[in-house]
Amino acid sequence: MAHFHLVQLYPNLMNLYGDRGNLLCLQKRLEWYGHDSSIENINPGDSLDFEHIDLLFMGGGSEREQELVLQDLASKRDSLMKAVEEGLPVLCICGAYQLLGEYYRSHEGKEMQGLGLFSFFTQGLKERLTGNILIHTTLNGVEESVVGFENHGGRTYFIDKRLQPFGSVIKGFGNNGEDKKEGIRYKNLLGSYLHGPLLPKNPQVADFFIKAMAERKGFRIERILDDSLENYAHEQVKRKLMG
Amino acid sequence: MKNLRLTLAIIAGKVLIYMSRLLGHQGTSLPGQIARKIYPRILRTLSANIRREIVAITGTNGKTTTSNMLAEILQQQGYSLVHNRLGANMLSGITTAFIEKSDIYGSRKFDYALLEIDEATVPLLLRETRPRLVLITNFFRDQLDRYGEMDHTIKLIQEAVKDQEIEMLLNADDPLTANFQAETGLKCWYYGFDDSSYDNCRVMDSREVRYCAFCGHQLEYEKYHYAQLGQYSCPQCHSRNPERDFTGHELEMSPDIELKVDGMALKSPCQGFHNAYNILAAVSLARLLGVEDENTKKAIASFKPQAGRMEVFFINGKRVVLVLVKNPAALNQTLASLIYDPGRKNLFFALNDNAADGRDISWIWDADVELLEYENVMIEQIVCSGQRSGDIALRFKYAGFPRERIKIETELPRAIELAVQGSVESSNILCSYTALFTCQRILMEMGKRSEAGEEKEKAYQPQS
Ligand SMILES: [Zn+2]
Repeated sequence: MAHFHLVQLYPNLMNLYGDRGNLLCLQKRLEWYGHDSSIENINPGDSLDFEHIDLLFMGGGSEREQELVLQDLASKRDSLMKAVEEGLPVLCICGAYQLLGEYYRSHEGKEMQGLGLFSFFTQGLKERLTGNILIHTTLNGVEESVVGFENHGGRTYFIDKRLQPFGSVIKGFGNNGEDKKEGIRYKNLLGSYLHGPLLPKNPQVADFFIKAMAERKGFRIERILDDSLENYAHEQVKRKLMG
Repeated sequence: MKNLRLTLAIIAGKVLIYMSRLLGHQGTSLPGQIARKIYPRILRTLSANIRREIVAITGTNGKTTTSNMLAEILQQQGYSLVHNRLGANMLSGITTAFIEKSDIYGSRKFDYALLEIDEATVPLLLRETRPRLVLITNFFRDQLDRYGEMDHTIKLIQEAVKDQEIEMLLNADDPLTANFQAETGLKCWYYGFDDSSYDNCRVMDSREVRYCAFCGHQLEYEKYHYAQLGQYSCPQCHSRNPERDFTGHELEMSPDIELKVDGMALKSPCQGFHNAYNILAAVSLARLLGVEDENTKKAIASFKPQAGRMEVFFINGKRVVLVLVKNPAALNQTLASLIYDPGRKNLFFALNDNAADGRDISWIWDADVELLEYENVMIEQIVCSGQRSGDIALRFKYAGFPRERIKIETELPRAIELAVQGSVESSNILCSYTALFTCQRILMEMGKRSEAGEEKEKAYQPQS
């Protein structure tokens, strides 16, 4: 039995639309795989020790909250990028995803710097992109469908065309409603507009993180879980979208 | 005939009300809407017929129940009133309520008008009517408001009531209404709860953070009564709960509510802390309106929770409770009430995602479903139904409820059948808005059948 240390960044500020369900899901699945885990909440002012972290999670927040977070996160930017380069599993949803880019411009034209880990930007518009969404992605070599719910005013565009999206949009809007891209994927980092929350209904994405975490500890996870309920919920949304 | 257009609008409205009743529609906004097209000043004109006061009741949760309780109290006191009791709480629904009670000349007088009004529509209501009292039950964010729309609504309400001849009745335990006196300069009355044995000192992960209404700093809570209602203080500007004018104390829920309001003992067949707040609000308002205590007590004792806000059926000897659950606070409250209900039980949850339910069902992950100790509350099985049966099933699975006792049945009649089967003593039927009326109909039919069956059994019973 191994112990996994999961970290949630700014749970009081960045936690929308049931985001915490993603961590609940990882914790339960780790338990079912026979492992133990803990969740540490990091709030503004707390220090962050990347040596002892197995996964980093940050959820969505409003503009006011994103600004507070950015002030704190700016000092941790370089060590975060180093950890990402070394393969740290990171999941950033909605507002947290937007923060990874270079800047966010609100619909009133106010510009807010991002962390600049990746070369993309987000343009806020009044009209929100809302609804169920279906995307296709490849995880551990297998093509998978991923479902969720999106609700964002921001349109995200890649400046660096070499950036890889998390998946391609089959139904719904994704990054901007135009280029069929959804989210970002870099090594073991995923940024995405999908909440729902994302992981419970997409057990293959949850396991992508769990396998990556285990691999970094030097072992493989062999057990197979009963995902009949998860798959049922997944298919239910898919059927709804495909009519 | 003085005002032909007004009469025409009233008659059109009355005909439409009659027709929609014939068609079995509950919704009552259409007649008002059409009448307003015919005679735009109709609400101004009819609301001028109120002899005593117009009372507006708004807030996120509890406004329908509170205004229905108050209607019962005022009728007990012998007053005549206009009241949009079916919860159509936009201007058109309120107009319908006036038309229904009016004579065709629009001249009939009433003592009171009780107007339940959607929060965002308060400023519009104040343009057309002159309420003397405005009650705000509470402000909760729901899944549709995560981007500060509520802050905006609160500001709009404050601007609308400012400089008017209005008194406000507010919840002292809700930090979001603490600055109304300062912002509006109006006379503000506050009601709230004293310590109770149902208070909780724990901060739950899912509780949204509340900020100080005066300085914006994050608040600290000494205790929570219900959701974000409780005893709080601001570490920065040291503001705390406003002083109470009406205090609820000695609350008992076993599970029916007993409490005192400033020494007056009340009993109610309603359940849950949210209903204790509704009673406290209605009783405080009744005091402000000068209703005699005896009448208030009688009305509260006889007020039955209505459709979906906890309705009880008896089927096959089991107690079956139907509850509308539409946000994390409501789900938390319902799950918490299971703790006070001894005996083995089934749980049923029909979750739809139509527009009226909210398309986004992620709020189920914001409720503290994992806090329920499933073995102690003796839940035998959980039946999941509705368009998002999969999501609700996963929610319970990841909250730690054993997979093999989670059943999925998308068809509502068969799902409810499953939930009222077996040797359990009670079933709790939870559903989102668009599943409510179907579930209610199914349960009523089952209740009738079960009653008929019992009668038959009795008839065949040999004399002893
Ligand atoms: Zn303060």
